[in-house]
Amino acid sequence: MSAADATAGTTRRPFTGRRVRFGDVVLQLVAGAAALGATVLVGLIVWKLVDGSHLALSKYGLGFVTRVAWNPVVGHELYGAGSFLFGTVITSFFALLLATPFAIGVALFLTELAPRALQAPVTALVETLAAVPSVLIGLWGILVLGPALRTHIEPWLHSALGFIPLFGPPSAAGASIFTAIIVLAIMILPIVASISRELFRGVPSELKEGALALGTTRWEMVRGVVFPYARGGIAAALILGLGRAMGEAIAVTQVIGGGVFIHWSIFSTGDTLGSKIAASYQGASTNLQAASLIYLGLVLLVLSLVANIAAQWIVRRVARRHGVTRGGHA
Amino acid sequence: MPRIGTSIRIISAVAATALLAVVVAGAASAKPARQTSTISGAGSTFVAPLVSQWISPIGGAYGIELQYSAIGSGGGIAAITARTVDFGASDAPLTSDQFAACNGCVQIPWALGGTSIMYNLPGVKNLLHMDGATLAKIFMGQITKWNDPAIAALNKGASLPSTAITIAHRSDNSGTTYNLTDYLSSVSPAWKAQLGTGVAVNWPVGVGGKGSSGVAGVVSSTPGAIGYADVAYALANHLKYFAMKNNSGKFTTPGARGILAAATSDQKPAADNSLSIVNPPKKFANAYPISTFTYVIVPMQSSKAADLKHFLFWAVTKGQTGTYTAKLRFVPLPKSVLVVAEKAIAKIHS
Amino acid sequence: MSTHDLSGPGLRLDRLPRRRRVNHVMEGFAWLAAAIAIAILGIVVWSVASKGWSELNLDLVTKSPIPFSLTNAPQGLANAFAGTIVIVGLATLMALPVGILVAVYLNEFAPPAIRNGVGLVLDVLAGVPAIVVGIFVFVLLVSGSGQSGIKGAFALAILMLPFVARATIEVLVLVPNSLREASLGLGVPQWRTTLSIVLPRAIGGIVTGTVLAVARVAGETAPLLFTSSVVGTQTHWDPSQALQTIPVAIFELSESADPKDHARAWAAGFILLVFILFASLTARWLATRNARKIAGR
Repeated sequence: MSAADATAGTTRRPFTGRRVRFGDVVLQLVAGAAALGATVLVGLIVWKLVDGSHLALSKYGLGFVTRVAWNPVVGHELYGAGSFLFGTVITSFFALLLATPFAIGVALFLTELAPRALQAPVTALVETLAAVPSVLIGLWGILVLGPALRTHIEPWLHSALGFIPLFGPPSAAGASIFTAIIVLAIMILPIVASISRELFRGVPSELKEGALALGTTRWEMVRGVVFPYARGGIAAALILGLGRAMGEAIAVTQVIGGGVFIHWSIFSTGDTLGSKIAASYQGASTNLQAASLIYLGLVLLVLSLVANIAAQWIVRRVARRHGVTRGGHA
Repeated sequence: MPRIGTSIRIISAVAATALLAVVVAGAASAKPARQTSTISGAGSTFVAPLVSQWISPIGGAYGIELQYSAIGSGGGIAAITARTVDFGASDAPLTSDQFAACNGCVQIPWALGGTSIMYNLPGVKNLLHMDGATLAKIFMGQITKWNDPAIAALNKGASLPSTAITIAHRSDNSGTTYNLTDYLSSVSPAWKAQLGTGVAVNWPVGVGGKGSSGVAGVVSSTPGAIGYADVAYALANHLKYFAMKNNSGKFTTPGARGILAAATSDQKPAADNSLSIVNPPKKFANAYPISTFTYVIVPMQSSKAADLKHFLFWAVTKGQTGTYTAKLRFVPLPKSVLVVAEKAIAKIHS
Repeated sequence: MSTHDLSGPGLRLDRLPRRRRVNHVMEGFAWLAAAIAIAILGIVVWSVASKGWSELNLDLVTKSPIPFSLTNAPQGLANAFAGTIVIVGLATLMALPVGILVAVYLNEFAPPAIRNGVGLVLDVLAGVPAIVVGIFVFVLLVSGSGQSGIKGAFALAILMLPFVARATIEVLVLVPNSLREASLGLGVPQWRTTLSIVLPRAIGGIVTGTVLAVARVAGETAPLLFTSSVVGTQTHWDPSQALQTIPVAIFELSESADPKDHARAWAAGFILLVFILFASLTARWLATRNARKIAGR
């Protein structure tokens, strides 16, 4: 599945004592330069973001990350990432919460329950959704989902569950955190579903058949054999999905409505790190605002890196524990 | 050995493709006999409808391909400061810091228009009455329903529903926002104290839309919404807008008469060529109080000076004629402003 | 790996009816979850397909956009289609050789420590959000000197690189060691072995990975917002200036108020989706064909 996994277990040491030709050196240098370049690239990304935001970094320091403010009026300028960080965390976590049962359900369905005839089309449908670009899902969110939520779902939810502050008055324009959560859930569902499906398929059938032979029902077999076996991989899939949701900017900015303050109701407008950057990308009126926007990008990068590295660490740990290389297959 | 033959074929195919790509790219970019030269600009969505009308006549008259990207006044200022475009467009005049950052730019008034306050309320007539103080309260979130007594008092005889008001504001840095907040600051001390004037403010309520068309989009899809944009957008999207009460007590609309009357309230551009015609005093009886000039920002020294001068001279003269401006409710520049504009354009050199 | 203790009172036969009920309920949940998920997926895909199909016409690809058109003159998104072809093509040309070289280095030359390290780097790079890549390229290249199609292509190439490298490594691993050893044993230098023996066998997987990477970046909007968005209405093929692209055009049209703009956005989105699907399906078909070929040999 990942790059390092694929090459583990194979050896590539050149034979000792072999004559090294000039061509070998050239190829090794050129290829090595490419690999070095890729490594340098990641560091360069971090460095350039730090460099671009240093005006805001030096002025606000780390307090920026939690301050809830975004006042662009010249003379009263004050910026902070607090509300956007809150928005990112809320939308991503709720999207993951919403998507996971469905994703696992689809994966279980495809590996355990689906008749052979249904497997291929359903798999194709899931992969199709993974391929839909975010701007299209955002377009659909603005024109189809938002109005539908505003007219039907949100009023119902508010009347049924309005005593919980989470479900405040329905949004008027269809643009809200709730819409963004659903859009994000739709985007991460195929990722989590296909990784889970791969994991479930990889459970050795002897284990599954052994459990069934002992008289377990299928659900008990799934709960007792499949889930524990795939536990690590699913955790990694969830974290990857979370990282994807946190980094999504375009579809979110199309449907979230751009509010600065933190509200408790998910039907109010809000904003996330990526979405704020996408909305303001083209014209910061002052250098400080530009630096603050890049600072937002830096916070987002750190978040994604943490999620990504955590997922990679889990994957490698699981692979080592299982003692097999998950080289992945097409 | 056949494998080496294959590999040689593969390597040469890749090399040939790369070479071809380089050649094509080079040929495409190094076209010396360019039929058209290009001038690129970015900025204000307020003036974008008018600039779009200019694209084809400019191409016909001078062979210049005009590219304009409506990304908001803030974006226009940033783009021309970074010299990523040949000219910027902004409804908000540059601050002294922005002049310094732009390093040798001049701002030139090149169009005159009005910001309409659009609303979407089915079953209610167009041109409802509104005044500044009430509008400020609405945008601050203090008035939340259409049948609020303050609105009803201005509109005796119209039956207003109890629909909730949804504010649509700009999510990007906008000269139209500057115009509106300038007006609200001058009619509402509370607004001035809490929110102030700017290309973006700390909106306490509302939904953000990107660009004037984004705001128009929110308004047209949300019953009960109130938003603001150049009047051309209200017309293009068949949106209703308010008649605003000016200082002489009249309710005026953003049309040729109201905007021209407002423009007579400031006939002399300041040293940096900016003018302020928001909320004119009461002797300008027919003025529409949320009118504004809008500016083009050009570096005084530019490699495209000749083309820029052709374009800008045309824009402030022929570009102001009714063919282009009337349907969009822009008003031709007053003579005194035109003189200043032409003087500034003449100073552009390469 | 641990499993539940499958012996013990949980499996008692007298509990069987209850266990069967639980099992039925759970299976029902799984079917329901799958059905809802599939329904939503279907709705999204169907919305794009049906709304886009009805607005599809030749004007979309051949005519230029006319912003604020006061007449109903036919307009389209010709500039966006041209720009997408140029920028995605350039991005592929940038990412492909670098990705292959990285994979070659990792698989043929690198000691295990470096292999794991750079492998981790590639996976981290794959997780950097597209908008962060956009800011990066903006700060690095655009700020102070202007947008261009090449800079947009560079941003997309950064996004493509991990995909190409990963796919190439996966097929390089599948090339049996015996081939390399035989070639080296015959006196062929390592560089020639790699280029003439190993890479040609891996071509199938490389193409698959590239096609998948293209499918991924063809719909990317965020990096292009920073690098190639200040554009005009005329169709250009010259990458040294900023070019309009389909995703950015859809993004801009989606926020407009005009239903005709929405119509064009749906139609362009439909074409984009069809292209991406076609590319993904082609990649999958190629991959299955390769797997069969390699297994057959």
